[in-house]
Amino acid sequence: MAAKTILEVKDLKTWFYTRRGIVKAVNGVSFTLDEGECLCLVGESGCGKSVTALSILRLFDSPPGKIVEGKVLYEGLDLTTCAMPLLRSIRGKDIAMVFQNAQSALNPVFTIGDQIEEQINTHMPHHDRNSRQKATALLEEMKIPEAAEALKMYPHQMSGGMKQRAMIAMGLSCDPRILIADEPTTAVDVTIRAQIIYILQELKARRNMSIIFITHDLSLVREIGDRAAVVYAGKVVEIAPVEHILNKPAHPYTIGLISCLPDISADLKRLPSIPGNTPNPIDIPSGCPFHPRCPSVMDICRTVEPEMLNISGVQIAACHLYDANVTGKR
Amino acid sequence: MRNYIIKRLIYSIIIAWGILTITFILLRVGPTSPVDRYILNIAARGQDVESVKQAIEARYGLNKPITEQYFSYMANLLQGNWGWSFSASMPVLELIGSHWIYSFQLILLATIFAIILGVGLGMLAAVKQNTKFDYAASIFSFIGISIPGFWLGLMLILVFAVYLGVFKTYYDTNYPIWSLENLKQLILPVMALGIGELAGYVRYTRSAMLDNLRKEFVTTARAKGLPERTVIGKHVLRNAILPLVTIIMFDLGSVVFGGAYLTEIVFGIPGLGQVSFNAIFANDYAVVVAVTLIGTFLVLFINLATDLLYTYLDPRIRYE
Repeated sequence: MAAKTILEVKDLKTWFYTRRGIVKAVNGVSFTLDEGECLCLVGESGCGKSVTALSILRLFDSPPGKIVEGKVLYEGLDLTTCAMPLLRSIRGKDIAMVFQNAQSALNPVFTIGDQIEEQINTHMPHHDRNSRQKATALLEEMKIPEAAEALKMYPHQMSGGMKQRAMIAMGLSCDPRILIADEPTTAVDVTIRAQIIYILQELKARRNMSIIFITHDLSLVREIGDRAAVVYAGKVVEIAPVEHILNKPAHPYTIGLISCLPDISADLKRLPSIPGNTPNPIDIPSGCPFHPRCPSVMDICRTVEPEMLNISGVQIAACHLYDANVTGKR
Repeated sequence: MRNYIIKRLIYSIIIAWGILTITFILLRVGPTSPVDRYILNIAARGQDVESVKQAIEARYGLNKPITEQYFSYMANLLQGNWGWSFSASMPVLELIGSHWIYSFQLILLATIFAIILGVGLGMLAAVKQNTKFDYAASIFSFIGISIPGFWLGLMLILVFAVYLGVFKTYYDTNYPIWSLENLKQLILPVMALGIGELAGYVRYTRSAMLDNLRKEFVTTARAKGLPERTVIGKHVLRNAILPLVTIIMFDLGSVVFGGAYLTEIVFGIPGLGQVSFNAIFANDYAVVVAVTLIGTFLVLFINLATDLLYTYLDPRIRYE
């Protein structure tokens, strides 16, 4: 892939300072995003994938949240330290976000049109402000029937699928180069989900837009993703092209996740699962955070945190199993 | 919507009629008579108190059974005749007409003062949650809510008028009502009446803002790249204002019926509170009933206006 890297997240740590202790929600996440690429962030609930997404645009609640380490480089600009007005000019313009639950992510007391046009008017220069036309075109692009009428509707007057599509239309309103979609299909039914995935695939191809797609659903990753990063306990444990992740996963956690995918042809009495629970982000296990649940755990895993190791050029995993020094010694 | 308004107006009339009836009966079943306050005058003139009293009562129909008095009062009222004030020796409507503006001005200014400062301070306190400013606002509003308005009025007079001499100790009615001099002498009364409300609004605004500041649509607004003043002043405030409207409108009723009366009496402002205060002591029942009725209609109107305001502020609310 010769595409240009548009976003680089380097060793990002976002911690929340609460009364019960420091919640290390994001604890050293690194990945890159190429132009026109769809990167999926995969992981269980509470693994830190949503906070990672929020950290890119510094949208988490602060206090108590704080980026304690790391960089988010967009076109060479570090978004974790740049001045607020500059960051604001990037939010919604260059990098847009679509949230999980359109019902609560849309403001209930303003019309959809108001909410879309507001974003256009914030970022577009005056002479370019035919925002109503633009908003109508966006809703049409999202295949919302009678778009001009839909603009006058309040969120509660729309169905769940319409709201989610309106939310995506809002995200796209200023032609962003990166769209961060945080589980955009969790709150909608299967047919709407298929529609939304189709729309995103089309957009990616037509606009050469990069997408960060956050999900816990591996079947969606197969449909939409180019590459996938598996997140566990606030860390990326494996990052690789989607076919590698699904067909020859390297990290024991990824292997576990893939083996949990139910096979419709198999006659199972019980769905497989990974034993144990996700670690408490206040008290992350020492060494490799996955070691208490890992079937191939070694002594070194309990004390030494594994580095990201290059496995096959495009596949990278953080596991001592692939470290020749470790396995060689054993 | 139209049906809803008509229904509410009919209810309002029924409620007002009930309050009118109760007020009338309570005032008229007492052992005192409107003539009582003239007894000394009558005696001083050497006239026979009992016969003069009976003559006056017969003249105004006060000797008739209370039900008959009630029905004739109602009949007059329906024809637009609000009765005669014994103590002021003029028609009740005329008396009210020359005094209502003082009350209206005081309530209007105090309410504007309380809303602007209260909502403003509350918003700031919410945005600066857990800072020194927030704590100071909390302490201020706690004190403000706890202090009775009439006592605050007396203290303000004592400090600013008596000790410091910044204001006069009495209300001067010679100034035109909207003149600068008149507005200046209203500063203390407006504070006395408004600070209690203001303190409450600080608390309510703060908590309503905090409730909405953590909502997901606020993150969405920030993700859109909106400046913080739009995020707070538009997206958060517009949602926080819904519970606030209830409280402010509800409070307005207690300002009209409670706070303004006491403030007028403490500062000697000749508004309807003062008029009705004097009328109660003079047993001038027509005035008391009239002022009560006006207040009742005002509160009922405010309630209806609040409900209609909701449909404008919250598109999710619709009345059938």
